[in-house]
Amino acid sequence: MSAALPDPVLAYQPGIYPRSERVVAATRGLERGRVTQAEVDGAYREDLDDFVQVQKQARLDFFSDGLLRWQDIFRPLAHAAGVPARILTRWFDNNAFFRAPELETPLGSRDVILDAIVPDGSVPLPRVGTLPSPYMFSRAAATHADRNQLMLDIARDVLQPAARVLAGAGCRLIHLQEPWVGFFGIEGGDVAPFERALAALGDGVDAGIVLHVYYGDAGRFADWLRRLPVHAVGVDLVETDLAALGTGWEVGLMAGCVDGRSSIVEDEERTAELVRRVAETVQPPVLYVSSSSDLELLPRDVARLKVQCLGGAVRRLTQPVAP
Amino acid sequence: MKPLLTHEVGSLDKPSWRVKAYAGQPLSEDDVESARHWGERLSVPEYPALIDLLRAAPLGREQKQALRRWSSLYAVRLLETAGLDAVYDGEQQRTEMYDWTVAHSEGFERRGSVRAFDNKYYTKAAATGPVSLREPFLNDEFAYIHSVAQAELKVPATGAYTIADWSFDEHYYRDGDLTLAAEQRRAARHSSRRRFVLDVARNIIRPNMQALIGLGARWIQVDEPGASTEPDELELFAESFNASVEGLDATFSTHLCFSDYDLFFPAIEAMTACRQFAVGFANYDSLELGTSHESRPGYRVIPKFRDLSYRPILGLGVVDIHSDFIESPELVRDRILYAVDVFDDPHRIHVTPDCGLRTRSWQVAFAKLRNMVAGTELARNALGL
Repeated sequence: MSAALPDPVLAYQPGIYPRSERVVAATRGLERGRVTQAEVDGAYREDLDDFVQVQKQARLDFFSDGLLRWQDIFRPLAHAAGVPARILTRWFDNNAFFRAPELETPLGSRDVILDAIVPDGSVPLPRVGTLPSPYMFSRAAATHADRNQLMLDIARDVLQPAARVLAGAGCRLIHLQEPWVGFFGIEGGDVAPFERALAALGDGVDAGIVLHVYYGDAGRFADWLRRLPVHAVGVDLVETDLAALGTGWEVGLMAGCVDGRSSIVEDEERTAELVRRVAETVQPPVLYVSSSSDLELLPRDVARLKVQCLGGAVRRLTQPVAP
Repeated sequence: MKPLLTHEVGSLDKPSWRVKAYAGQPLSEDDVESARHWGERLSVPEYPALIDLLRAAPLGREQKQALRRWSSLYAVRLLETAGLDAVYDGEQQRTEMYDWTVAHSEGFERRGSVRAFDNKYYTKAAATGPVSLREPFLNDEFAYIHSVAQAELKVPATGAYTIADWSFDEHYYRDGDLTLAAEQRRAARHSSRRRFVLDVARNIIRPNMQALIGLGARWIQVDEPGASTEPDELELFAESFNASVEGLDATFSTHLCFSDYDLFFPAIEAMTACRQFAVGFANYDSLELGTSHESRPGYRVIPKFRDLSYRPILGLGVVDIHSDFIESPELVRDRILYAVDVFDDPHRIHVTPDCGLRTRSWQVAFAKLRNMVAGTELARNALGL
């Protein structure tokens, strides 16, 4: 390990991973009555096996199930809480859409059934689980309710139980997707409720919480982010100026070093050099290395190469070849 | 154009007999029965020849070409039978609105499937070199549809901004060195993006439209579902529309969908050559009847289209294409009456689905379109037109 690097430097790939052409064809065929559910299940099983293998080959430090069956980052949670999700809504500045959860009534009275989010037993330990951040969830929802109150309700009644379930299933990290802050920013009056929601979410959860701010410049919020009640904060280095992050961070950093929206596959050596510069600049107590956003918006073959790049870049730093 | 003119927006699902026979997959009796059923229902007297063709599968190259035209003919008849004033063929002869364009252009390479939502995907390509038109790619289908259609034609053609936005860029912007200052990278990305979008407009979309107009196309709908994807690029979208159509001798409209439509203002004030905006609203609207402002939450933005200085027509999306719910004629009527009241001019309202109906079965699409036409008739009666 280089003296300039924090110990540890760890790589993982959170979020929704792209599906194979076989799953694409199978799910399309199922909707048109041309294939059976068993064939679709078989295709998903192959995809999961393949993604596990890719992560092993890349020697990532935490393993994900790739949320391969999730139709969007909210859907299984909306279903778990018995909340409808109907209105097709653009996913930030992408040619991709989610169905907004419709949250007009209080969540507290509902039974939240979370079986669907438990990673498959074939996913190796230690695992990383991915959930939407409460701030994004409350802003993306279709509702007329007070969104800050809704955020607290979501954190307490849906996300905290979900995080506990994931931690109980071997997830050592709970990765929270927070593109809303990156893309739209956050108003001063929303900051304290968000901090309370994060604290509520993490209460009693035996795993590190990583809040990943992406699709925007995290540098403008760096002074606030580095003091949040979380284990680590993730940034999107495609949109963020490294120099704006400051130095001597109090919490861990997840550096999004590989572009989750570009089909150009990064060079492993250049990525390793970027990670080294991030470590030297920010000096976090722990450094995670990942993609700028999840890889859902890439074809699977490209995503696979990006995962390999991540693992390879970290290995170059942590296991340098002797001259 | 007549007040409350009705038209479709673009795609229809491809029938199973078309998909399977074209792909060389075995046809079931249900597939053949579907061809027979719709041939009779849509009054296609020649349909026994299609049945003979399907029975002859696997098909050779010329037979597949004939199959695409059968599919095209069926779709034209479906739209005409539903009673629409302006039709096309549901893009039956194309692979898909994005892929068909890049497949006939230079400078792109396919990269694989990318999800748009749920289980819906598209094959995404990357610009790997300077982009240009390889060959006009709507001429054959237009010539055929022109020869068989009885209703007026409106040709849907994917727009430049959407083609660029739905593509990866591996040519115009290559150096993503993340150690450079973010502001410097951002500026380089924006400048590269502008070159990419305008190259698509000038070198692919415009010459393709010129070819169509040369064949007799009079109304071309520039499909731009990607137009509002990047809120800071709406002026570029407008610029690309103008670069695609300015000075050409035809009626041009554009189709926008599934966006925060407020974002388009003021950028589209520059699109003075756009005679109609076909916009999806029903997906955001209430299913309750009523013509009051409160009853029609999905249509709150329409005064902004009304107030554009060049007074375009609004193609009013009244049918949700993401649901099998069949809108009643009365619901369609009330959505139209609300819009006419806001515009105070029925000549500036056309009636359309929110978007192409390719995610719905033909059964559902037909039922939705028939009720759309029936609802338009109710509105015409209510307005004394």
